[in-house]
Amino acid sequence: MHNTNYIIRFVLIMTVIVAFVLSMMYTGLKSVHQTNEAVYNKKAILSAVAAQLGKNISKLSNAEVENIFNTQIEQKVLDMSGNELTPEQIKSATGGVASTADKIDMGKEMKKPEADRLLPLYIFKASDGKVYNIISVRGKGLWDEIWGNVALESDWKTIAGVSFDHKGETPGLGAEIKDNPTWVSQFTGKKIYADDGSFTSVRIIKSGAKDPVHEVDGISGATITANGVDEMLERGLKYYEPYIMKNKKS
Amino acid sequence: MGDLINIFIKSAFIENLALSYFLGMCSYLAVSKSVKTAFGLGLAVIFVLGITMPMNWIINTYLLSEGGLFGMDLTFLRFILFIAVIASMVQLVEMVVEKFSPELYSALGIFLPLITVNCAILGGSLFMVSKEYNFSQSVAFGLGGGFGWFLAIVAIAAIREKMKYSAVPAPLRGLGMAFLLTGLMGMAFMGLMGIDPAAFN
Amino acid sequence: MAEVKVAEPKESIFTFGKAERKLVTDPLNDNNPITVQVLGICSALAVTTLLNKAIVMAIAVTFVTAFSNLFTSMLRTGIPKQVRMIVQLVIIATLVTIVELTLKAVNYPIYKELSVFIGLIITNCIVMGRLEAYAMANNPWKSFLDGIGNGLGYGIILIIVAAIRELFGKGSLLDFKIIGPTADYVLNTSEISWLGWYANNNLMVLFPSAMFVIGIVIWVHRAWNKKLVDIS
Repeated sequence: MHNTNYIIRFVLIMTVIVAFVLSMMYTGLKSVHQTNEAVYNKKAILSAVAAQLGKNISKLSNAEVENIFNTQIEQKVLDMSGNELTPEQIKSATGGVASTADKIDMGKEMKKPEADRLLPLYIFKASDGKVYNIISVRGKGLWDEIWGNVALESDWKTIAGVSFDHKGETPGLGAEIKDNPTWVSQFTGKKIYADDGSFTSVRIIKSGAKDPVHEVDGISGATITANGVDEMLERGLKYYEPYIMKNKKS
Repeated sequence: MGDLINIFIKSAFIENLALSYFLGMCSYLAVSKSVKTAFGLGLAVIFVLGITMPMNWIINTYLLSEGGLFGMDLTFLRFILFIAVIASMVQLVEMVVEKFSPELYSALGIFLPLITVNCAILGGSLFMVSKEYNFSQSVAFGLGGGFGWFLAIVAIAAIREKMKYSAVPAPLRGLGMAFLLTGLMGMAFMGLMGIDPAAFN
Repeated sequence: MAEVKVAEPKESIFTFGKAERKLVTDPLNDNNPITVQVLGICSALAVTTLLNKAIVMAIAVTFVTAFSNLFTSMLRTGIPKQVRMIVQLVIIATLVTIVELTLKAVNYPIYKELSVFIGLIITNCIVMGRLEAYAMANNPWKSFLDGIGNGLGYGIILIIVAAIRELFGKGSLLDFKIIGPTADYVLNTSEISWLGWYANNNLMVLFPSAMFVIGIVIWVHRAWNKKLVDIS
């Protein structure tokens, strides 16, 4: 039997060793972790224009992603009334965390009052010279948060591609918004404005889409997640409306 | 209050720790041979989840996060501290129960030490962190998750008691059948996913 | 290092004879942690929707069982009885944190998908069970092999289950399209695929199917290895 003194010494020494090893590893790998996280988020943004890029996004290396972001993408941050913010303004609005669009934490923005939210905008120049506007949306699914990126063509009307992600939707049901490329590809070519110029968003219809221009099919067994995507798109796209109105060339 | 009831219902029925995340499966399968023991273990799990969840919330918020006591990001110590809290809480609960309620102690008795390595307890705490619950929400999540686990183990125990009288192929007897039954119960619980998670808001 | 020592006489601790080989191979079949000992089912089943997740999980668990067995066995005479459980848990939790930090640096997308289930290796009953049943009573080298064997025995079942679920649920293995229509893979139409009429069975991706598949794996295993019938 060991005495109390020994136990305390044993536990203390073990704690020191363990804490030392782990903190060394943590600090040593921190920069790698941060790069990985940044690249992961950038890949999500690029997924919205995967077809235009003509590449399999998940197979891109870190350097390739950074390269596309540096050469083909222009980042902007907007406020809720459609004004473009300068890096200084972004810094003060995020408490010094971010100065460019890709550093903005959309989860934190969602918790702010609606009027103070920041809107990231990525302008992607494809190799054929076409310009796409990628915007970020965020909402609630069945269990937890869902978010996505929507690429609009330069007319700000037609969807060129979308990508969605989620925190904890059910695999095989709600998680299909990320995992099922067929479902995601339905959005391509849909229009978010009616012919008369009024905002319609893209509706997700449970019983099957009837209007080929503004509607897509729902996901069977995942009505609540699909409704979440529907709501997220409507609200998220509307946030950008003031900016769209200012920039439309009509 | 409404969102607390929502979290309770969600974690008990829709996001059942045992049937949709397979947490606590070892003890779930090992202790579900009779309803009586399953009942005891289920109660102990509710009890321990309800206590450790808020404890771990306090540790995570005030010690490990950047805005906490030490002012730095200590999240890499999360696993160690969580499991230490769980192990010591289980021992503490064991001692307190033994002292003040010998009857409850003899009812829960052997199950308490088992709970330390029940994945549902640690899993609950980790889910709580990833879902960013606040204090009262984490209490509701702990109790709800525990209740859901309790329901699952009592139900499977009842089915397995009946199974003794059925002609199951020899290689499938016991463990194999328990797996198939759990799968069927999981499918039945999926029917509850239609519950509107915002019903009580 | 091990190879040099093997040549030495029997009393060396690094021998790899019949008994040691049995330590590694026994958990693969006769004493499989999942289908026979019923340990470690908890965290494992949720990660078997895709084969790559299951392989990463199998490697992670093998690493943790092997090294926690090794360290516990090295410390077994020094660990105070009163705090034995907490000491073991701290060793496991440290190794799991190392796995988490490494995975986060090496393959971030998989780390994201596995999320809390990496942390749940701590309460994987195999790890704790082997520490108590084996490492506390045997020398470090044997414990290490026992850890590897049990990790692999667990990994094998995980990989079988994941392969079945991914093949029939998604029509692919390791993201390569095998069966079913290729139209799913809009960006990868060049991939070959058989059985074009096959429609993916969504049940295979849903959680109850993990239970069905394991139940059937156990059935097949016990029908083939008759001495396991009615073990529990």
